[in-house]
Amino acid sequence: MAISDVNPYEAAPAGDNMFARITDNVSRIAETPTPPRAWYIAFGAAQLLLLMFFGSLGYVVWNGIGAWGNMMPVAWGFPIVNFVFWIGIGHAGTLISAVLFLFRQNWRTAINRFAEAMTIFAVVCAGIFPGMHIGRPWLPYYMFPIPNQMNMWPQFRSPLEWDVFAVSTYATVSILFWYMGMIPDFATFRDRATTTVRRVAYGIVAMGWRGSSRQWHVYERAYLILAALATPLVLSVHSVVSFDFATAQLPGWHTTIFPPYFVAGAIFGGFAMVVTLAVPARQFFGLKRIITIRHLELMNKVIMATGLLVGYAYGMEFFVAYYSGNKYEVFTFVNRAFGPYGWAYWTMISCNVLLPQLHWFPKFRTNPWCTLAIGLVVNVGMWFERFVIICTSLSRDFLPSSWGYFIPTPVDLMTLGGSFGLFFTLFLLFCRYLPMVAMAEVKAFSPAGRAHGDH
Amino acid sequence: MSSIDDKAKKRLNILGSAAVAGPASASSNAGDTARPTYWKSLAELEQSPEFLELAAREFAAPLEQEPPNSPGRRRFMQIMGASMSLAGLDACRWREDKILPMSRRPEGTIPGSSRYFATAMELNGSAVGLYASSYDGRPIKLEGNPAHPDSLGAASAYQQATLLGLYDPDRSTSVVTRVGGTRKASSWAEFSKASVELVATLRANGGAGLRILSERSSSPSLAEQKKKLLATFPQAKWVTFEPIASDGPRAGSVLAFGKAHRSHYALEAAKVVVTLDADVVHPTFPAGLANARALTKNRVPDGGEMSRVYAIESMVSLTGGISDHRLALRASSIKAVAAYLDAAISAKASALPEFGAAQDKPGAEFLKDAKVAAFLDAVAADLLANIGRSVVVPGQHQPAEVHALVHRLNALLGNVGRTVFYTEDTNAEAESDAAALKALSDELNGGKVDTLLILGGNPAFSAPADLAFADAIGKAKNSIHLSLYEDETSERASWHLPAAHYLESWGDALAWDGTLSIVQPLIAPLHGGKSALEVVAQLAGAAEPNALELIRAVHPDLSAEHAWRKALSTGVVDGTAAARVQPALKPLAKLALGEAELAGPGGNGKLELVFGIDPKIIDGRFANNAWLQELPESLTKLTWDNAVLISPRTAKELGISDADSVTVSVGSRQVTLLALIAPGHADGSLRITLGHGRTSAGHVGGLVSENIDPVGGNAYLVRTLEGYDIVATASIQSHGSVPYRVPSTQDIYTVGEIGQQGTQERLPELVREGTLEKLKSEPKFVDETVEHNPLLSLWVPPVSYDGHKWGMSIDLNKCIGCSACVTACQAENNIPVVGKKNVAMGREMLWLRVDRYYKGTPEEAEVSFQPIPCQQCENAPCEQVCPVGATMHSHEGLNDMVYNRCIGTRYCSNNCPYKVRRFNYFNYNMDTIGITPYTPTDDPKAKVKAMVFNPEVTVRSRGVMEKCTFCVQRIQNVKIKAKNVKRPIEDGEIKTACQQTCPADAIVFGDLNDEKARVTSLQRLPRSYALLGELNNKPRVQYLARIKNPNPALSPTEGAQAPKAEQG
Repeated sequence: MAISDVNPYEAAPAGDNMFARITDNVSRIAETPTPPRAWYIAFGAAQLLLLMFFGSLGYVVWNGIGAWGNMMPVAWGFPIVNFVFWIGIGHAGTLISAVLFLFRQNWRTAINRFAEAMTIFAVVCAGIFPGMHIGRPWLPYYMFPIPNQMNMWPQFRSPLEWDVFAVSTYATVSILFWYMGMIPDFATFRDRATTTVRRVAYGIVAMGWRGSSRQWHVYERAYLILAALATPLVLSVHSVVSFDFATAQLPGWHTTIFPPYFVAGAIFGGFAMVVTLAVPARQFFGLKRIITIRHLELMNKVIMATGLLVGYAYGMEFFVAYYSGNKYEVFTFVNRAFGPYGWAYWTMISCNVLLPQLHWFPKFRTNPWCTLAIGLVVNVGMWFERFVIICTSLSRDFLPSSWGYFIPTPVDLMTLGGSFGLFFTLFLLFCRYLPMVAMAEVKAFSPAGRAHGDH
Repeated sequence: MSSIDDKAKKRLNILGSAAVAGPASASSNAGDTARPTYWKSLAELEQSPEFLELAAREFAAPLEQEPPNSPGRRRFMQIMGASMSLAGLDACRWREDKILPMSRRPEGTIPGSSRYFATAMELNGSAVGLYASSYDGRPIKLEGNPAHPDSLGAASAYQQATLLGLYDPDRSTSVVTRVGGTRKASSWAEFSKASVELVATLRANGGAGLRILSERSSSPSLAEQKKKLLATFPQAKWVTFEPIASDGPRAGSVLAFGKAHRSHYALEAAKVVVTLDADVVHPTFPAGLANARALTKNRVPDGGEMSRVYAIESMVSLTGGISDHRLALRASSIKAVAAYLDAAISAKASALPEFGAAQDKPGAEFLKDAKVAAFLDAVAADLLANIGRSVVVPGQHQPAEVHALVHRLNALLGNVGRTVFYTEDTNAEAESDAAALKALSDELNGGKVDTLLILGGNPAFSAPADLAFADAIGKAKNSIHLSLYEDETSERASWHLPAAHYLESWGDALAWDGTLSIVQPLIAPLHGGKSALEVVAQLAGAAEPNALELIRAVHPDLSAEHAWRKALSTGVVDGTAAARVQPALKPLAKLALGEAELAGPGGNGKLELVFGIDPKIIDGRFANNAWLQELPESLTKLTWDNAVLISPRTAKELGISDADSVTVSVGSRQVTLLALIAPGHADGSLRITLGHGRTSAGHVGGLVSENIDPVGGNAYLVRTLEGYDIVATASIQSHGSVPYRVPSTQDIYTVGEIGQQGTQERLPELVREGTLEKLKSEPKFVDETVEHNPLLSLWVPPVSYDGHKWGMSIDLNKCIGCSACVTACQAENNIPVVGKKNVAMGREMLWLRVDRYYKGTPEEAEVSFQPIPCQQCENAPCEQVCPVGATMHSHEGLNDMVYNRCIGTRYCSNNCPYKVRRFNYFNYNMDTIGITPYTPTDDPKAKVKAMVFNPEVTVRSRGVMEKCTFCVQRIQNVKIKAKNVKRPIEDGEIKTACQQTCPADAIVFGDLNDEKARVTSLQRLPRSYALLGELNNKPRVQYLARIKNPNPALSPTEGAQAPKAEQG
C-alpha cells in the first residue's frame, strides 16, 4: 500500500449539494484506504512516546515512586502537576458542547466533536496520574466505596476523595455526551460503508439509527438534557480539583479564589489545546471549509478572555496575600515570583498573560499559524501554572528548616512527555476512524440547512 | 504428597484423629450414604465425601507441614534438647530459626518480652554504663544506665548505634592470614598453633622484639593481664595509642601538679561557666553526658535564677550553642585568653604566694579588637563575683599550658573542691600517645620488632601521617591485628583476628571518675570473635582463657555471688569511684606567647587548622555504621560526608563559597574535601573532624576494593606529630562547587535573599526567646510574641480525651542539639537508612529531627536547636485530608498511622505545617540494606542484619507514610502492665525513646489529664508555647522558650537586637 504524497483530502468534496459535500468532506477522512504521510509520521511519534510512557510508569511501579523527583517537602511533584494539567485540558470539550450549546453558539458545531474527543483523551491521561502517583499503585481501589471484608471505607472529608467522584462523573458524562452526539454520524458511515467489516462495526455503534423524525426528536431532547447535566460539571470538576489545594492550609494553596480561577484556567488551557489540534487537523484533513478562520478567531477570543481572567487571578492572589497581613502568605507569593522558582513563575506569566495579548490584533488572531503558536505557548504556560502552584508552594512552607528544592528526574520528564504519546495516539486513532466533525450538526447550521430561516 | 484436596485437609485438621480412627460401622458402610443415628461429628452425620474418604483410611494422612522442616523424631529430640539447654543461659545467642516452641517455659524467660541487662561501653579509656534490652536473646536497643555516673540514663548517638555495629555484616568472620600479600582464611585453631610456637620463641628471648599496641583502656582485668604478660616477657613493650586522645590534659596536669590528674566538674553547682574551646557537654568530652545533665539543670529560668555560660571557642560547639555569650577566637589564641584571664583575676583575687606569679596580659596586638578585651574583662569580673561558684573548662585539644593555667585559675577562684574536683589518673602514661607511637614506629623501621600485636584500633589509618605507620607495620616479622573489621591495618598485618564486640564478651571498665562497671555480654560472639583480654591472656600463657574467670579473679570484692550479681544487675559497683584529691599547685612559669597565639580575632594572616573528634564516627571506627553516617551533624546537618569548616569572613577573603570542593594543605600534605561556611566560626581557623575517608571500612563507610567510595575526606592525611591537635599554618584552595548535591538535611540549596528575609521574619515566632530579665518583667511575653485571632471552632471537639491525653514538653533552653534522641528514635522505631543520594534529595526518614537556626550576623551567629517530633495535633491537618483514613485520631490524642491502609497519596505530608511526615519512596530496608524482617532469605549476612529490628514496631514497606508515634509501643507496654495489676500509670513511667536518652533532660512526656504530671506543669509555664499554634492545630507538643541570662556588662541595648540577619 503506497503512501500517497499528495494530500487526498485537498480535492474538492464530491456531491451536488452542500449536505452531500459536507458528508463527503468529513467521511472520506475515515474512508480513504491510506491516510496521509503526516498521519503516519505523527502516529509513529505518538507510539514512541506512548512506549516511553508505559516504560517509565513500569519503571516507577517496579522500583517505587522515588524514581520520580518527589521528595520532602515537595511530596507532590510532576505527577500531580500533570494530572491537573490534563484535567484542565479536558474542560474545553464539555464547555464547547454543553455550555455553548445552551447559549446557542452555533459556530461550535465545527469543532465540538473533536473538542469532546480531546476532552475524553485528556481525562484518560489525567486519570492515570492519581492512580500511578500513589506510593502503592496497586491499591487505588481503597479510595472507592466498595463494601469489603476489611471493613474499610473511604474518608469522605478528604478532597482527594471528592476528586474521585468529580473526575469519574465528569468522565462518564463526557463519554456519554460524545458518544450520543456521534450516533447520527456513525449511521452515515454505516450507510456509506463499502466493506462488510465497516458496515457491521459502524452499524453496531450506530445503534439502529434511521434518521426518522421521531429519532431526531428524542435525540435532540436527550442532547439538551445531557447538555444541561454536563454544564454544572464544567464548573464542578475543576472546582473540586482546586479544593485539593484550597482546603489545605499550606500558604499558596489556602485561598478561596481557587475554584473560579482554576475553572477559568482550565477553559483557557482547554481552548488552547483545541486550537493546537484544530490548526493541523484542518490543514492535513482538508477541513478548512468546515473549520474556518472565523472559528479560529472566535476561539482565540475565548482564549484571550479567559487569559485575562487568569491574569486577574494571578494579580488578585498577590493582593490578597498582601492584604491578609499573614506573613506566611506574603512570603509565599514574594518567593513565588522572586525566589528560586521565579523562572517558572515568569514563564507562566509570559505564556499565559503576556503573549496571548497579541490576539488583540486581528492579524494575529486570524492567522492559523499564529493561533497554533499561541495555543502551544498557552499550553506550556498552563502546565507551568500548576507547577508553580504545587511545587513552589510546597518547597517553602512554614518552618524554614524543612524547606527544599525539587528537581525532576529524567523519569519525571519521560512520564510527562509520554503522557502526550497516549493523548496523541488516541487522538490520531480518533481522526482516522471516527467522524471528526459533527456532520449532522454542521449541516443543521450550514446555509443550506438554514435555507428556511429560523423557525 | 497425598491426593486429598485442600478442603479435605482442612476438615482433617478440624476433625482431629477421632474421625480418622472412625467407628467400625463407618468404615464398613463406606458406600452407604444413609445418615447414622448416633454420630460424633457433623461431618459424620452429613456423611460428606471427605469424611467418607478419610474414614476409609486406616491412618490419617500426614500433615502437609510437619513440625518446622523436621526430618524426623531424632532431629526433634536434638533440637529440643539444645533449645532447653540454650534457654537456660542468661546471655545467650539468638536462638536458631528452627527451634520449636518450648512445651515448658524455662525459669525466668517470657518469650516475646524484652529483658534488660546492664553493660558498659568503653571508648578512649573511659566507660559509659548502658542498659541493653534483649528480645529473645538478641539485643535490640541500648540505653544509658541511670545508675552510672557518666550516663545518668543518657546515651549518645554513637553509643546507641554500636548496636547496629554488632549486626554489621561487614564484620570479619574468621581469622585471616596474609603471606606476601595473599589473603587466606584461617582459623583460631591455626592461630593457637602459631601462637604456641611464637610464645615458645618469646619465652626463650624474654619477649625481646614483642611490641603490643593497644587502644586506651581502663579495664582492670586487661591491666592485670598486661602486667602478667610483661612479667613473662620482660623485654616486651606495651604501647598505647588512641588517635582522639590529646596530650594536653595529662601534660597540663603534670605541669600544674607534677602528676597526671583527671578533672571533674560539678557544673550544677556553678553560677558561672567559662569554656575555653571546650565542648563540655558534648558526648565525646570526658563525662560529657553527665556534664550536659549538670549544666542544663542550672538553665531553668522559671525560678528566677539560672547560671551564666561563656564560651570562648574556635568552632560553634554545643556548649557555645546554649551559652549566654560566645566569643569566636582561633584555637591558638586560647592560650592568650587564659593568660589574660589569669592576669586579670590574679590582680583582683588575693592570689596566694605559693601559686606563683601571674601571667602578663597579652599585648595590644591581641586586644586590638575592643570587643575581645571587653568580653574578657566581663568574664573576669563575673568570675571574681562568683568565687567558689564558677568553673573554667579547657578544651581537650588545647596545649598543656592552657590546662595548667586553667588549673591555676580554678584554684585562684576557689573552685577546687566546690565545682572542680581532681582524681589521680592512675592510667596515665608517661608520654603522649603520639610520642609513644613514634617510638614504636622508629623501632619498627629499625627492624627491632619481631612481633607486633595490635589490639583494636586502626593505626594504619589513624597514625600521624609523617610516621607512615602503615608501611612500618609490614617491617615486623609477625604482625597480628585484632579488630572487628578487616580494615586498613588488617590488610597490612600478617594475622587478622576477629574481635568480639563489647556486647559479645565479658569485660570490665571504669567510668571517668573511676567507678567500676562489668561489661556483660548480651549474645554469644556472632562470628567467633575474641576480646583483647582473651588474646593477651592466651599470649601470657593461659591455655583456654575464659574472660569471665579472668575478670572475676581481678575483683575479689565481687567474689561473693550476691555482690557479683548486684554489680551485674545495677551495672556499677558502688564505692569504686576514685578518691578525690586536692593536688598542690606548682608555680607556673610565664608563658611565652608566639605570634600566632597573640594574634587577635582576625588572626595573623595564617590559617590554623584544628582537628576535631568526629561527633558521629569518632576516629573512624564507626565509619561503617549507617545510623551514624545518616545522622545529621548537629551544626552543619551534614550526613554521609565531612567538611572543612570555615568562617564566613575568612571564606570571603579566600574566595571560597559554601559547598566548594577544597584542598587543605599542611606543608606538602593534602586532603581534598567539601568546605562548608560555618556561621559563628572563628576567623582564620579551619576545622576538620577525624575519621572520614576510610578506604577499607566496609560497604557503608567506603571499600575501595569493591569500588565503594570513601565517605568524606581523610583528615589524618594532614595530621602530623608537629601539628597533632592544632596546625599553626595551613592553606586552602578551592576547586569550585562539589559535583554532587550536598547530603545535608537542612539548607541543601541557596536560601537567597528572599528566603533569608522570610526566615528572619518568622524565626522569632518559631524559636521564641528572651532574657531572664524579660521573663521576670513580662512573664507573658512568650505568649504575646504572636498576635492572632481567638482560636475558636464552630464544632464541638469530636474526641473528649476522658482517659489519657498524651503530651510532650520540649525545653529549648536545655536542648543542646546533640542528636542522641534522633538515633534513639531510629533504633526504637526501625527507621530505615536511605543513603547519601536520597538524603541529598530530601528523603531522609528520621522521625525526629533537630532543627538548627542561626541568629545575628553570620560572623557572630548565635545558634539554637529545636527538636521536631510529630506534634500530635488535636485538630490534625493530616487526618482530614487522607482519602483512605490511614491516619486516624486515637481517643488518647495520638495521630495513629495505619500502615496497612496507607496507599501513599502523601497529601498528609503536604498539609502538615511541621513537615514531620516521612515517606517510603523506595523499599528502603530492602534497597539500602537488602533486608526486611519479612524477606525470606538464607543469606546468613542478611539474617544477621535483620536481628536489629525492634519486634514491637512494624517495619514499613515501600509506598507508605510514616511518622513519630510518641513511641506508642512504649505507651501500650506500660498501660498493659498497669492494667494487669489495676493501678494507675505513674507520671514518668512512660518514657519515649527520645526522652529516655536525652542527656539534658529537655524532653518530658506524660499525661496532660494528670494534674500532677510533670508535663502538665511544664506546659502551664508562662514560657511554654505551641509551635505555629495560631493555625489552631492544637499541637500536643509544646516548647519552652529559650531564656538567656546575659551579662548586663556585655548585653547590647534592646535596640541593638533589632537588626537580625539570618543565615540559613
